Amino acid sequence: MTSNRQPEGVDRVIHEPARLNIMTNLFVVESANATYLLQQTGLTWGNLGSHLAKLEEAGYVDVIKGYKEKQPQTTISLTALGRSALIGYRENLLAALAPVVE
Amino acid sequence: MTGITDLKTLEKQAFRRFYEDGIFDIFLGLMLGTMAIGALVTDSSGSETAGLLVMFGMAVVAVVSLMITRRRLLSARLGEFKPGPIRRKRITFVRLALLGSVLIGFVLGGLVAAGGVSIVSLEVLMPLVWLINAVVVFSAMAYFLDVPRFYLYGFLFGSAMPLLIWPDVLWDYRLAPWIAFGIPAVIVAAIGFYKLVGFLREYPVQAPVERVHD
Repeated sequence: MTSNRQPEGVDRVIHEPARLNIMTNLFVVESANATYLLQQTGLTWGNLGSHLAKLEEAGYVDVIKGYKEKQPQTTISLTALGRSALIGYRENLLAALAPVVE
Repeated sequence: MTGITDLKTLEKQAFRRFYEDGIFDIFLGLMLGTMAIGALVTDSSGSETAGLLVMFGMAVVAVVSLMITRRRLLSARLGEFKPGPIRRKRITFVRLALLGSVLIGFVLGGLVAAGGVSIVSLEVLMPLVWLINAVVVFSAMAYFLDVPRFYLYGFLFGSAMPLLIWPDVLWDYRLAPWIAFGIPAVIVAAIGFYKLVGFLREYPVQAPVERVHD
C-alpha cells in the first residue's frame, strides 16, 4: 500500500506536474514537435523524453518519429484517450477540492 | 509551471509567441518601403512603369527572403506546431480578410487604370477606401491572431494614402510619396527590429539533438 495519499479518482499519470504541463500544452494544439514542447514546458530533453514515454505508455500521447528535411523530427499529439483523461482529471480534481474550498 | 485552469490563455500565449520574432513586422515595413522606393523611382525617372517594376521586384524579394528566414528562425527556437480547430478557424478568418482586401485592391486598381474613376472619387474616396481597408484587415489580424500591435499597423498602413492625397486636395500641399509611405514603413520596421533583437536574446536555438527521437 502506498503512503502517498491522493484525492480519489485523480489520475496519477497526469497528476505529476511535468506531465500535466505537457498534457495541457498538447491539449490546445493538434500536434507539436519536441522543440515546441521543450520551449513551452521548460523541461530538459531528458525529462521531456522520460515523461513522454510514461504518457505514451498510458496511451495519452502519440509520439511519431520521422524526418523533416533530412533532420530527425518527433511529432507529439494527444490521443482521444489523453484528451478525455485530462478533462476527467480536471473534473475529478475540482470535485475533490470542492468540499475544501466550500 | 503552467496550470490547467486557463487553457485559453495558454493557447493564446503560445500562439502569440510566434509573432514575437518581429520578422513579420519587418516584412510589413518593407512592403510599405517598396511603395516608398517605387514612388521615389517614379519621381526621379519620370516613368511610372519603372517605379512599379522596382516596387513589385522588391516586394517579391522581401516576401520570399523573409518567409524563409522566419520559418528557420522560429523552427529552431520555438519548434513547430499544428494549431487546434479554434485557432485554425481564426486563421481562416484572417486569410479571408486578406483575400477580400486584395480583391478590393485589384478592383479599384482596375477601375483607376481603365479611367473609370472620377477625379473626386480618386482624391476623396480612394484614400478613404485604402484607410478603411487597411484598418479592417489589420484589425482582423490583431483580433484573430491575438497580436494587439497590428491595430496600430492598420492605422499606419491606412494613413499613407490619405497623407499623400488629402493635404494636396485640401491645402494644396503635396507631401512627397516616399515620405508618406516611408514614415509608416520606418516605424513598423523599427518595431520589428526591436522585437527581433529581444526575441533572439530571449529564445536561443534549441540543442540540435532531439533525444526524444532516440
